[in-house]
Amino acid sequence: MRLTRRTFLTGASATAAVVAAGPWVVESDAQSGPIKIGLVLPYTGVYAVLGESITQAMELVFAREGNKIAGREIVMIKEDDEMKPPVGVRKTEKLIDSDKVDILTGPVHSGILMGMRDKVHNSKTILIVSNAGADAISRERCSHWIFRTSFSNWQPCQPMGGWVAKNVSKEVFLTAPNYQAGKDMLNAFKEAFIPAGGKIVAEDYPKLGETDYAPYLTKIRQSGAKAVFAFYSGTDAVNFVKQYDQFGLKGQVKLTGAGFLTEPDVLPAQGQSALGIITGHFYTPQLDNPTNKKFVADFKAKFGGKTPDGFACQGYDTAEVIVRALKAVNGNTQDKDKLVAAIEKIEFDSPRGRFRFDPKTHNVIQPYIYIREVKEVAGGLDNVPIDKVADVRDPGTGCTLPS
Amino acid sequence: MSVRVVAVLVAVLLVAVFPMLAGNYPVKLLQEILVWGVFAMSLDLLMGFAGMVSFGHSAFFGVGGYVAALALTRWGAGGVNGLVLPALAAAVAALVIGYCSIRVSGVYFIMLTLAFSQMFYAVTFQVDWLGAEDGIVGVPRPRLVGVELGPSAFHLYLVAVTLLATLALWRIVCSPFGHVLRGIHDNEGRMQAIGYPVDRYKLVAFVIAGTVAGVAGALYAQLAGSITPDAFLWTTSGEALLMAIIGGTGTLGGALLGAAAFILLQSLVSSYTERWMLLLGLTFIVFVLMLPGGIVGALRGRIGFRA
Amino acid sequence: MLLPDFFSQALNGLSYGVLLFLLSVGLTLIFGMLDIVNLAHGSFYMLGAYAGLTMIGLTGNFWLALVAAPLVVGAIGALMERSVLRPLYRRPPLDQVLLTFGFIYFFEDLVKWIWGGRIRSIPPPDVFSGSVKLGGATVPSYRLFVIVFGLVMAVLLWVVIDKTRLGSIIRAGVFDAEMTAGMGINTGRLFTGVFALGAALGGLSGVIAGPIQSAQPPMGASILIPALIVVVVGGLGSLKGSFVGSLIIGQAETFGKVWLPGASMMMIYAVMALVVLLRPQGLFGRPLK
Repeated sequence: MRLTRRTFLTGASATAAVVAAGPWVVESDAQSGPIKIGLVLPYTGVYAVLGESITQAMELVFAREGNKIAGREIVMIKEDDEMKPPVGVRKTEKLIDSDKVDILTGPVHSGILMGMRDKVHNSKTILIVSNAGADAISRERCSHWIFRTSFSNWQPCQPMGGWVAKNVSKEVFLTAPNYQAGKDMLNAFKEAFIPAGGKIVAEDYPKLGETDYAPYLTKIRQSGAKAVFAFYSGTDAVNFVKQYDQFGLKGQVKLTGAGFLTEPDVLPAQGQSALGIITGHFYTPQLDNPTNKKFVADFKAKFGGKTPDGFACQGYDTAEVIVRALKAVNGNTQDKDKLVAAIEKIEFDSPRGRFRFDPKTHNVIQPYIYIREVKEVAGGLDNVPIDKVADVRDPGTGCTLPS
Repeated sequence: MSVRVVAVLVAVLLVAVFPMLAGNYPVKLLQEILVWGVFAMSLDLLMGFAGMVSFGHSAFFGVGGYVAALALTRWGAGGVNGLVLPALAAAVAALVIGYCSIRVSGVYFIMLTLAFSQMFYAVTFQVDWLGAEDGIVGVPRPRLVGVELGPSAFHLYLVAVTLLATLALWRIVCSPFGHVLRGIHDNEGRMQAIGYPVDRYKLVAFVIAGTVAGVAGALYAQLAGSITPDAFLWTTSGEALLMAIIGGTGTLGGALLGAAAFILLQSLVSSYTERWMLLLGLTFIVFVLMLPGGIVGALRGRIGFRA
Repeated sequence: MLLPDFFSQALNGLSYGVLLFLLSVGLTLIFGMLDIVNLAHGSFYMLGAYAGLTMIGLTGNFWLALVAAPLVVGAIGALMERSVLRPLYRRPPLDQVLLTFGFIYFFEDLVKWIWGGRIRSIPPPDVFSGSVKLGGATVPSYRLFVIVFGLVMAVLLWVVIDKTRLGSIIRAGVFDAEMTAGMGINTGRLFTGVFALGAALGGLSGVIAGPIQSAQPPMGASILIPALIVVVVGGLGSLKGSFVGSLIIGQAETFGKVWLPGASMMMIYAVMALVVLLRPQGLFGRPLK
């Protein structure tokens, strides 16, 4: 058949008609259909370990409920954000616009969180942040629709300020990568450290992704500081801690930091170099409370002996919040205001302690920030709690939520 | 009217009415393809026609994006801020960088342009008022003639700008200037011997390509609602190169096809397999080896090892 | 700054510089001989580190890994050259550059597939796992080893390239490939050999750097920039340039981190831009045509 103008246009319009008809043909009943939970997490790359932990804990909780709430099936739609803001935002839009998820969760990367914030807020999608710690989400960029079950960057660090001044040393060298999260963490530390009589000997901000910390470690040694407070995560944490040991600082200048310095995603690679490091975090699998003991046992049973970490606890709490809130509204995902109100009132026993949201910021109130030390336990190295600070809530400066 | 022209017109029409035919996510993908297509086309002008391979083209993409983001968030959401200012800024950047870089060629040109774009990356990553590593968020859609653009209007705006950019580049490529560029690509020495001020032609081509890249960056910032330092990475330039090569260098239209192939691979294939990067690398290798004309070349029947 | 402090930092700069040398010398050799900027050179570094990791895991012997891993990477390089790069020799050199760019994606995902995306740590050999006091500075003994090893390798390479017949063949090939072929040398095998050598050196630097830095799939792409910069500053194709350039940049980076902390990201690009603007062929490179 010859490709004439007429045949082409006929064919094109026919195709267009079919395509346009498509979306009308398949329409699900939003009330009795499955409850769709969207996850924007890294499933590839170095941080995939975190994405997996969070997801696995969520699966654990949902499985316990028979994967159903109020008679509706729970469907998890997972999207890999590759730790890249453009990809993360794109996947968020897919989940909200295309998949029409009822509740969105994630991400790990604070940049992705800040990038998705407006879309979530404007589309009135309920987002439960299951990791990213950007303080701004609990401060000037808070939203009626956004809750956070993980932590704000401020929370693990501010209590360490007071504790380190009292129990380690009042002359501390600070270091973190040169980006917003790093500066936020160290500022939070200073907030409590200086009023407690602490003196900052010096501060250093190597570039994010630095592989050779030699010049900075030499500076630490030369500064005469008695202790170091550091925030590093991922590969940076591995390189920093290992090189800290190689330069002979491990036994001489006490290394303390935010919990991410020694979390299970980096501890295996750090090995013996991490022994004795003291960090602040809201969780450690070593916690001795009944909910945690059950959580650790169930998690190990379901996932081949794998011990849960702080990220898994975040996932557990996120799923618990979803389950409890939806039960409270009888599975009604249409009335979003009611669902938000239900989430705000939630209180339950989490592996980290008694879980509550701060109505002022929609951020979790950490029942405790545990001061942990890396020690040798049965099965290898782990963060063992040696002290704790109770009831840590983010100051929430600049957050105005409708009550 | 030839079949080709009709086909192009139908394609443009389909693209323009796409929001009526498909959901938000496919439309978003199409819009990204348009924006990256413009970026890749500008690189094709530089690489396919003038023969200058640059790994620093992302510098202008980023400049356009950041200027648009800053202007739209701080000074109001006008069309001037959204397109004209970024284009001007990118043109100036291209003039400066081009002037410094064109004195060297080949590998050194690649290295120098790469260095410049990485410097932009380093600066925007550190500087607080540029948003540091999070970049600038909350970039609004522009207002044209005082009217705020709704979703369909914005789509038409994107299509229109893409069309204008394509037509402009097409005109340039077909003009005497474009022919001189091709002559320079083929044999620079000869053109120099004939008496053409080769460096000046190259600089003009560089600035034009940079300006269009800046427009693409501005569109990107408006589409995504944000811009991050990643826009300046040498790998961003690399991705545009991939698109131009997969589509077919020296064809302009190929760049749009290449952009489509890349974005579809990245978005759709990644939902099915984690190994999409491997596939992308392999695809690229195969194209460079066996399909030097890219998709367009293959469509025209040029497949196989070229001597 | 006190003298012992200065000395400590200078040693840091030296160990970093030597690592850069081991990394970049392969890249510059490949460019010098084949006119290819192998953008996948970072991938050879990464493959070396992972091959080393596996071998240490299998045999527990660092020294074995130090010898075997570069051989493996060299073989991969030879395979790559023969199968994929050779058909491109008659095409503009930029086509080859673009091809190697595709390999970056390919190798990174391949490594992720085989070894997973987690961060892996490579232990230094037991004999070098402590630290020593040297002139008032505490230096990890492994870093001292790296410095000595790197300097020895530099001398070895110089001797081979400058003083042996093989070296003169290589230099002839760099200078004028056609003439060399005309003299009866099998340039095909020569090119493969040089590419394999460059790859092996890249892999070697990966194993050596392993105990200092950790292994993860993106490491190939991120190490490429420093390597390219060293090679451009030193002069593409010049062994001497690679050596001097890497030592200079090693010290510049280190003291930059000490004295100008905010600028550490920019520093290395600024240095390169300056060199290319003022002396495009680098310190010891061939004058540009």
